[in-house]
Amino acid sequence: MALTKMGLLISPEACIGCRGCQAACKSWNILPAEKTVNLGSYENPKDLMPHLYNKIHFVEAPSDKDPVRWLFISQRCMHCEDAGCMKICPSPGALYRTREGAVGIDKDKCIGCKLCAAGCPFNIPRYDEKGKISKCHFCFDRIAHNMTPACAKTCPTEAIKYGPRDELIAFAKKKGYEKVYGQSDLGGLGALYAFKDAPKVYGMNEKPEIPETIVFWHNVLKPLSYIGVGGVVAASLLHYFAIGPHKDKDEEVR
Amino acid sequence: MVRMIRKEGGVNIVNHWVLAVSCILLTVTGYGFLFKVEGIGYLCGGFPAMRIIHNWVGVVFLVSLFLSLFMYLKESLTFDADDIGWIKVAGGYLSHKAQVPPMGKINTGQKFYYIGLVVFGFGISVSGFLIWIFPENTQWLTLSHLIHNICFIFFVIMVPVHIYLGTLANPGTLRIMISGRIPYTWAKKKYPKWIAEVEGHGDKM
Repeated sequence: MALTKMGLLISPEACIGCRGCQAACKSWNILPAEKTVNLGSYENPKDLMPHLYNKIHFVEAPSDKDPVRWLFISQRCMHCEDAGCMKICPSPGALYRTREGAVGIDKDKCIGCKLCAAGCPFNIPRYDEKGKISKCHFCFDRIAHNMTPACAKTCPTEAIKYGPRDELIAFAKKKGYEKVYGQSDLGGLGALYAFKDAPKVYGMNEKPEIPETIVFWHNVLKPLSYIGVGGVVAASLLHYFAIGPHKDKDEEVR
Repeated sequence: MVRMIRKEGGVNIVNHWVLAVSCILLTVTGYGFLFKVEGIGYLCGGFPAMRIIHNWVGVVFLVSLFLSLFMYLKESLTFDADDIGWIKVAGGYLSHKAQVPPMGKINTGQKFYYIGLVVFGFGISVSGFLIWIFPENTQWLTLSHLIHNICFIFFVIMVPVHIYLGTLANPGTLRIMISGRIPYTWAKKKYPKWIAEVEGHGDKM
């Protein structure tokens, strides 16, 4: 039985860029530190990594009105309702829906094919040293016990807020955010973003979608692969009984 | 004793069955991946093991397909007016009254089947190896995945047709890929141009 669909509301305007969530995520999930290099920004590492499920993306968006505008955006698995990774994954149970609506991972069942990266509209999956998927799993082990995910738990400003998804949307609307990013994209994202500006200002895809070829594969090629076989077997039977096999009357067949 | 003639040599027959068995194993495990069939995964010892089996049987398939090029490609790409006649009467499969033009060692349908096998067989192999070996490039991975699945459709449709035509629809045909030998009179009726060629050279009896 599905529980209430849970979500995270991420408010870049409330984020102070402390990256406590990054550290808390590593702490709870026992992930080693990465060796980093100074790239001239506090954003570090530069990208999500096999041992980095959640990262604060730093965006500098200065304007005349606001010469010092820094935006801090938590990047992680969005836990899509219509998840491209789950669609394309060939191994049952490697990616699964938790009762709270998250996209969980089971590394024992992951076959390391990396197709989920092709199915993901947000470029999230990374692969560990064994070639198996690693990504944010919404602290499935915490939320299953009514605990807050590590990132949200540690956030000092509620820039990452955990709760029932519907309530988070209502909360954001009450705060004056007309459109919540992820409210309806891909069937509804588990990670919601309260953006003041266009998503692209925050480095986010305006209209995230599962690649068309994968949708085509899922909707057309997959059904065709069994309808085709069924059709051919039926046609062969029909041919056998309606027209019949080639029989040589006057020749010795055996 | 019925006079027999050898249509396929031992190497061809062995290669045919290597290709057939690898193709069927790949199809079954392929369906296992496509529809996440747990039972097929269990038979292989789990999905990670099934991936290894699928990939390495793919190597066998590719090698066998490559070898087959030396056996059938040349003849499969040789067409004449009789092939057009064969297409016009659909090989005689739609009516037993149809007059099928004289055929060589392999008929027009078999030529098309073999060309399809080569095109989609190499397509599915190359795309499969790209998925296996270079999954880091997501764009190539997406494209390979699409090609792999399009080629799969050819196999799941055309292989059953091939099996049907080689067994039930043409009783006696299966012998060609078991002993390799068929009755001379039967061969003369089914493959008159081939027999004429053999008689002309006076060998291969």
